[in-house]
Amino acid sequence: MLEAGGRWRARWLPELGIAIALTVLPFVFEAGFGALDLLTRVLIWGIFGLGFDLLFAFTGLLSFGQAAFYGTGGFVTGYLLTSGTLSNVWLAMAAGIAAAAVFGVFVGLLALRRVGIYFAMITLAFGELSYFLENSPLATWTGGENGLPGVPAPSVHIGGFSMSFGGSWPSYELVGAFFFAGFVFTRFVVLSPVGSVLTAIRQNPERTAALGHDVPAYKLAVFVVAAAFAGCAGALLGIFQSYMPPESFALDTSGQLVIQTVIGGAGTLIGPAVGAFIWLSLRDGLQQVAAVSDLWKFILGAVFVVLITFLPNGIVGAIFRLKSHVRPHHADGIARRDDAAPGGTLLAPMPNVTAPGAATLALDVRDIKKSYGGIHAIHGVSLALPEGRFHAVIGPNGAGKSTLLRLLAREETLDAGRIFLHGKDISTADVTAAYQHGMAKSYQINQLFPQQTVRQNLRIGALGRHRGRWRLDVFRAADGFATVEEIVAALVKELGLTECADLAVNTLPYGEKRRLELGLALVSRPSMLLLDEPLAGLSPPEREGIKQLLRNLGKGRTVILVEHDMDAVFELAEQITVLQEGRKLAEGTAGEISSNLLVKQAYLGGTMP
Amino acid sequence: MPTLPQFLSQAFNGVALGCLLALISSGLTIILGTLGVLNFAHGAVFMLGAYSGFVVLSHWGSFGAALIIGALVLLLFGLAVERGLIRFYYSRPHEHQILVTFGLGIMMVEAVRHVFGGLSQRVPLPSWGQGIVNFGFFFYPLYRVEAIGIIAALLLGFYLLLYRTRIGLVVRAGIEDPLMVGLLGTHVSRVFMVVFSIGTMAAGVAGVIYAPLAAVIPNMGEPFLAESFVVVVIGGLGSFPGAIVGGIVVGEILSLTTLFNPAYSQAAIYAVMTLVLIVRPHGLFGTTGRV
Amino acid sequence: MTRMIEVERINSYYGDSHVLFDLSITVNEGEVVALLGRNGAGKSTTLKTLAGVLHPRSGTIRLDGEPIQLLPSHQIARRGLQLVPEERRIFGGLTVEENLEIATFSAERPLPLSDIFAIFPRLRERRGSYGRSLSGGEQQMLAIARALVRRPRLILLDEPFEGLAVIIVQNLLDMCRELAAHGQTILVVEQNVRAALSLASRAYVLDKGHVVFRGSAEALRDSPEITNRYLGV
Repeated sequence: MLEAGGRWRARWLPELGIAIALTVLPFVFEAGFGALDLLTRVLIWGIFGLGFDLLFAFTGLLSFGQAAFYGTGGFVTGYLLTSGTLSNVWLAMAAGIAAAAVFGVFVGLLALRRVGIYFAMITLAFGELSYFLENSPLATWTGGENGLPGVPAPSVHIGGFSMSFGGSWPSYELVGAFFFAGFVFTRFVVLSPVGSVLTAIRQNPERTAALGHDVPAYKLAVFVVAAAFAGCAGALLGIFQSYMPPESFALDTSGQLVIQTVIGGAGTLIGPAVGAFIWLSLRDGLQQVAAVSDLWKFILGAVFVVLITFLPNGIVGAIFRLKSHVRPHHADGIARRDDAAPGGTLLAPMPNVTAPGAATLALDVRDIKKSYGGIHAIHGVSLALPEGRFHAVIGPNGAGKSTLLRLLAREETLDAGRIFLHGKDISTADVTAAYQHGMAKSYQINQLFPQQTVRQNLRIGALGRHRGRWRLDVFRAADGFATVEEIVAALVKELGLTECADLAVNTLPYGEKRRLELGLALVSRPSMLLLDEPLAGLSPPEREGIKQLLRNLGKGRTVILVEHDMDAVFELAEQITVLQEGRKLAEGTAGEISSNLLVKQAYLGGTMP
Repeated sequence: MPTLPQFLSQAFNGVALGCLLALISSGLTIILGTLGVLNFAHGAVFMLGAYSGFVVLSHWGSFGAALIIGALVLLLFGLAVERGLIRFYYSRPHEHQILVTFGLGIMMVEAVRHVFGGLSQRVPLPSWGQGIVNFGFFFYPLYRVEAIGIIAALLLGFYLLLYRTRIGLVVRAGIEDPLMVGLLGTHVSRVFMVVFSIGTMAAGVAGVIYAPLAAVIPNMGEPFLAESFVVVVIGGLGSFPGAIVGGIVVGEILSLTTLFNPAYSQAAIYAVMTLVLIVRPHGLFGTTGRV
Repeated sequence: MTRMIEVERINSYYGDSHVLFDLSITVNEGEVVALLGRNGAGKSTTLKTLAGVLHPRSGTIRLDGEPIQLLPSHQIARRGLQLVPEERRIFGGLTVEENLEIATFSAERPLPLSDIFAIFPRLRERRGSYGRSLSGGEQQMLAIARALVRRPRLILLDEPFEGLAVIIVQNLLDMCRELAAHGQTILVVEQNVRAALSLASRAYVLDKGHVVFRGSAEALRDSPEITNRYLGV
């Protein structure tokens, strides 16, 4: 009972805190911090920032064009009301938010084709475009440089109760209610599987896709959500001020949002509001001081630069970091064999649906080819693996082993040839689809989510297979799938990672990370496992530990192992394929391969005449 | 339907604007290509150039001096910024680099506003730039023709610097493979310093040249920032020829669409940018990789 | 024989992957030494650590008695240690001549272009061509020529024969033999054991980041157990 109470508190404490703050602060503001209107403005920026925080801090997408949606929401709402098209303010707001969201879909589809620098440039460009559109071609509707005056406040009539939201206090109550609702919603998102996927996308988008999540779809979804929040904030601004300013579309507005979020603390959801408070108070406050009255923005800019340099997590973020300390792991890096469940089966593969025409091969690779700019990396390779086979691929440098695995995992397109997984043609499938069909790969260089814990890392992989490519289940808890949690717990135990299960990955030594890397490939319970040099970079005792794991994980599934550790290869593999310069040189058992003269030549003598 | 003189006039305007954008964007693109830094303060640098020109002209009245001193001031400014701030960011994520240059840009604009006030300053045309050129069937302002000439000469100089000098060779190699440049014994961070300074100077000189043509106000650089982004996307990140071709293309689109419907000229360049993003995402001259 | 390079018990990491474990090797002036081993054995990592691309977490590297393990790569290059990297890394957008010209900057007495073209006549024919238009063999020649321009005390060749046709490999081997005959000190990393041993007088064999054989090239040729165990299959 006590534990349940504790869990309830942990989950709902922030919401409770915000509710209390929203109740108490207006009185504080009236008394000391300037008028209530300041708080209302702060909260409008706060709503704007809730969506932006999801986009920027959680998903890692820095947009400099959010003003486009802020302005759209405000002007559509304002126009519908001032022109008399709609008299119901709530409907007009809904229309404004919808318009912002639709605009968000359009911009998102174009801007999200690129990342990082390009994305920032494109969003800035669209922001400027919308500013220009407001000013000129659409001036008849928007009022051009004059904006839209006379936006009315909404009112509520339920039964006998009636209230209008004009005036200081009612405006605050309206905005405060929206902020609270928005905060509750974004908290749900952050704590949901969707939030986990977004966080994963920020840290390693390629691996997130390889773990079965439709990354472009999630990115578009969060972009549209951010646009909707922006539209809501814009609509509220127009209502609050009874006026919609053209500057709401300006780069200044997008920039102000970014600066406030960084100063207040990106990733905290309330950071943008805190930042808005700092910005607005500083502006109002400094304007009283004669000498520096017009330097308030310069000072803010300087503070911003200093914060980026020394405290990239902003003020609230820095406080959060001080509080939550992750214990660094003092391991000596030696695999804990005693931890691993002896003789465990490393999670039997999920039963898979085989295409009709049974007795099919697990993997049927027919004459695949891949070139890079005229160089043939893979030149007509075929493989036929029956179910349950443990197969190794070896070859000298430049043979194409890694390329082969990338093609099989569907990370790259085929130039020619076909691949059939359990009878299903996956030649044109992408890496996300391959994962959903039961194929998973473990990478030569660790591809993990460094800021998440071991458990969270594994969960992202399990959620991919369990929930499918795309689901907007924002009202579920990320750890609310019993099956997923069971799988993750079992795998943590079998991998010998119990001690560090709840530590952040970037604090772990290499050996543990390598085990987790293997774990990410196993957590979907794949029937087809691709292992790219799992023993790379391990010390002799660590190698032994992983080899033990490899022995176990072959049971009941088909495995392709690429390795240079010949001892391990001969020990584990039933059949070995030798590649050389993109072609199959030989294939056979360990004994056959080691006595094959051609293979010897390939390794020792380089190219054959 | 526009008349021939109107059309030619706007076409010339397009060349003038295009050259200006080409100069600004080539600075932006070499910084982006070599350092990987997207300089959000680049518009503010342009503005700083215009104000430098204004100050020099107020005291010495020589436009030539304004150009030279303006170039030097911005060269030194770029050096100071690179050494004092940017170089600590090379190993930080792109987003941080964008944010810090954005903050720097704001500081620059506000500092100028504090010193000079927000009202526009007028920079007079140089004595050799006043008047009109008679092309027979249409007239065109002399200064704009001269501006095209000056910028063309500067771009030529830029080209010669990149393709005919030692330092240019190192810069071009550095855009491709900074690690290898280090392995051949050259201190790569010196290269970065030079590139940032020259790129900043380019935008600054563009500002001096532009100053007599429009109002000199603290946030005059803002539209040029957005437009130079469009140029770089169209031309290709890190490509000097791309910046030139992209600049002329954008300049012409802006000027010629004004003939038909001024309201849509801005929308037109963003439409072209969108098209390039869909059809050829790396730009006309860009190569895959780097960003 | 003067010790040119002394590597003492270095531990190198790739990220946090421990790749070299207490590795020690030496190279004497005028020698050709081969560094052999399968993929992942640590050969490339050793060369990169020597050239300053990576820094060892412990251990020392001495060049002519001076410790260099913490120096940045451009300073190591100026001290006469020149790496020819595995991917060749010639500048595709620059011409052959420009590639060679860059190498002359910060070199005290660079080798004149005429001398380079005397060693590599093929490069004279292609002097105006862009790097990206050269064939694999020509690129390798250019990469080696670029290193030679700086008259390095020691050249590090990282898999110079990979992916090249037999004839070209033969050509390059002859060139390297000539350089060695003129006293050039070379440390060559190769998977092509036959080619490497035809060039080198001494060899080290690496396995999983450890040295498992050190001795003369002849001794290695006469030890099929070593060759099969660590180099073959």
